[in-house]
Parts: sequence; structure tokens; C-alpha cells
Amino acid sequence: MPNNSGKVYGLTILSPILNDDEASPSHDLQIRSYLAGLSTGRESPFAQAPGTHLARLVVMDDVIFVGAPAVEEHLNSKYLIFESNCDPGPDGTIDSYLQGLAEYAGAHLDAIWSHCVGYPGASDRAAFVRYMKACQLETTFFFAAVNDKSVPETLRALQTQKAVADFVETHQGMQPGQLRAEFLQLVATLDAAPMPAVASATVSREMKIGGRNE
Amino acid sequence: MSNINGKVYAMNAITPMKPWKTWVLRLIFFVLGHVKSLQQDLINLSFIEFARWVVVPRAGFPQFGNGQEPEKLTYDYLLFFSNFNGTWNQYIDAFSAVLSKGLNLIWQWSEKFPGSVPVTLFKEYIGRVQFDTDYYFTAYPHATANDLKAAHAVQASYDDLRSRVNSLSDAEFADAYMSFVLQVQPNLGETGEAPVVF
Repeated sequence: MPNNSGKVYGLTILSPILNDDEASPSHDLQIRSYLAGLSTGRESPFAQAPGTHLARLVVMDDVIFVGAPAVEEHLNSKYLIFESNCDPGPDGTIDSYLQGLAEYAGAHLDAIWSHCVGYPGASDRAAFVRYMKACQLETTFFFAAVNDKSVPETLRALQTQKAVADFVETHQGMQPGQLRAEFLQLVATLDAAPMPAVASATVSREMKIGGRNE
Repeated sequence: MSNINGKVYAMNAITPMKPWKTWVLRLIFFVLGHVKSLQQDLINLSFIEFARWVVVPRAGFPQFGNGQEPEKLTYDYLLFFSNFNGTWNQYIDAFSAVLSKGLNLIWQWSEKFPGSVPVTLFKEYIGRVQFDTDYYFTAYPHATANDLKAAHAVQASYDDLRSRVNSLSDAEFADAYMSFVLQVQPNLGETGEAPVVF
């Protein structure tokens, strides 16, 4: 199935946004405003719910006119695009991922999708999943650079990579017996380490100045 | 608007296609999906984490009634979403230089596509059909696609050594550890914040 690449799922959803002349600000603007204030770090709805590698939300205002002799045309609705690269359930379907979103991030989803036509709310999980799947488009071609690992497996691998790099650097030239003992200690430490946080907060840094544009 | 999160850039593009041409494109994608060797250039462009093309038929936009007017369109539309590392210019330049034939095969069915070479007109076209991302999330803001591949390679080597450590003598472990270091050393680069691009 084109939606799947190995163990990764390419979810593409287009939800029509309410077109209400009486609404002020307009519904698309309310979505944009909410998204502008939404955390992309550990508090993100996609960090709280399991299974998202990368995801985006985009308000698509219209199709694009590329110039004559192409025909100029316009959409009657604006659409909210939800593009997610995520872990499907064991059966390869998207249901458990969508249910996870509804369970862990229902309030955020309601704040965003309540501006879309026909949205039933996240509290009715079955209706929510039905709605999202009704908005889903079949991905025609999906490419994933790493398509055989889940989000937890990747977080764990990044943690292991750093620990191994530190270990190799600090254990050069060590006697075999001590090296083996220290490696076993590394194994015990990594086994006991908690799962690294998803989307760990960006480290603050000093503003770099003096570039070409200054 | 947030096309960038950490080391990843989110690109969205939409191009119109005459409906009959979308069937040609579907066939091309079908072949591309089933003949993995044809994906090699895409794999070699190792700064792409995920990419997808979605053909939206002119009558295929989701409709729910409830006052929503049906779309009345002449064209089908090709949506393109990419998650890549680096800058927009680096991405388009590399696409044009490495994947020009493949890109032409995919986008030549779209209206007014000028070809991926020369790159100037290609960039102008992409600039015209691209639209911005409102919210962008990544589970690994400090890692690139190559970082992820490297981390999984280290994990595999580590798991192998770990599974054997208890059955090895100290001397055998020293040899196994040396082999382990030789295996993982190309993949021990450190992840971190994205560089500031001026």
C-alpha cells in the first residue's frame, strides 16, 4: 500500500475549513492563530501522543495558478492539511495512531479541528477516527529514509549512540578485564535509563552575530 | 509560519495536472514503488527524512455537505510534501543536479513545469507553487536523516556486542570490542543544534 513504507505510515488528511462570513476572525485565521502558539517541544500534542516521527499542519488557502495557458481556478473551501509520518498499529492500519492522538491530545485536536466541517470532536473516539479517515487521501508515493524503526526505537538508538561515543572516547587503551567490566556497567546504565523525551526542548543559545547580512 | 524545526525543513507544493495525465503519473509511481533500484538516487540524497506525492483527483477533495460547497475543478492536483535537512536552496540545487531525470519524469505532467534544469527556472516554478507550513513537529529536532541512520547502525553493533559479552573471556572481549569500535566509529557523530545559516 502506498500509505506504508516498511513500518512507517504516511498519513495525509485534508479537512475542509468552515466557510462562515459571520465568523470574525475567520475560521482559517483562528486555526493559524492557535497553531502559532502551539508548542513544538515536549508539550506538543504530537509529543504527548505516541507514534509521530514528523508531522505538519498547514492551512491551504487555495490551489495555485501557474500562469497562462493553464486555466485559473479556485477552491470553494480552504483546507487544513495534516501530514504525519508515524507508526501504524501492528495490523499496519492507522486506527490506533488516531485513537492515541484523541486520547492524549484531544483538547488540542478539538481546538484546531472544531473549525473544520463535520468534525465530531475527539471525545467520541470511534466518530473521530471515522472522520479523520473520511478526510484521508491515499498517498500515491511515500519515501522514508528509515522505514523499519519506530519512534521509541529511534529515540533509544540516539541515546545509545551518544553513550557509546562517550564510552569509546574515555576508554581508550584500557586493560581487557577492566574494559569488559566497564562495558557491562555501560550496559546496566543504558538498560536502566528512562526512555528519552520526544522532541526535547531546544537548547537556548546566544545569538550569533556578525554574519554576511549584518 | 514555521517551515523549519531544528534541523528539518517542511516543504509543501501543489501543481495542477490535466486529469488524463495523472494516470500516467500513477503508473510511474507504481513502477518506482515496486522497483527499488529506481529509488537509489532518492536514497542517495541522504538529507531527505520523509517525502511523499499525493494525487488529488478534481472530485477527490473531502466533502461533508453541511453547507460545504462541492469543488468544481478542471485539474487534478499533485501535492508534494518533503522533510529535509539543510536549506531550501541546497535542497533544490541537489534535486536539480542529482535527480533531474526523475523530477522531470514526475513533474513534466504538471502544467507549466519548465524542467528541473536549468535550475533558475526550476527554482522560480517551485517558489510559485510552494506554500508555507503553519505548524511543524519533529520527534528529533537535533538529528538529521544521516544521524538517524548512524544511530541505528550503532545500536545494531552495540546490541550484537552486548549479546555476546557474557560468553567472552577478557581477551576475547578485547578483540570483539576492537571490532566493535571499528564498526561504529564512522557513526559516532554528535547530534545537536542546527547551525546558524547566514
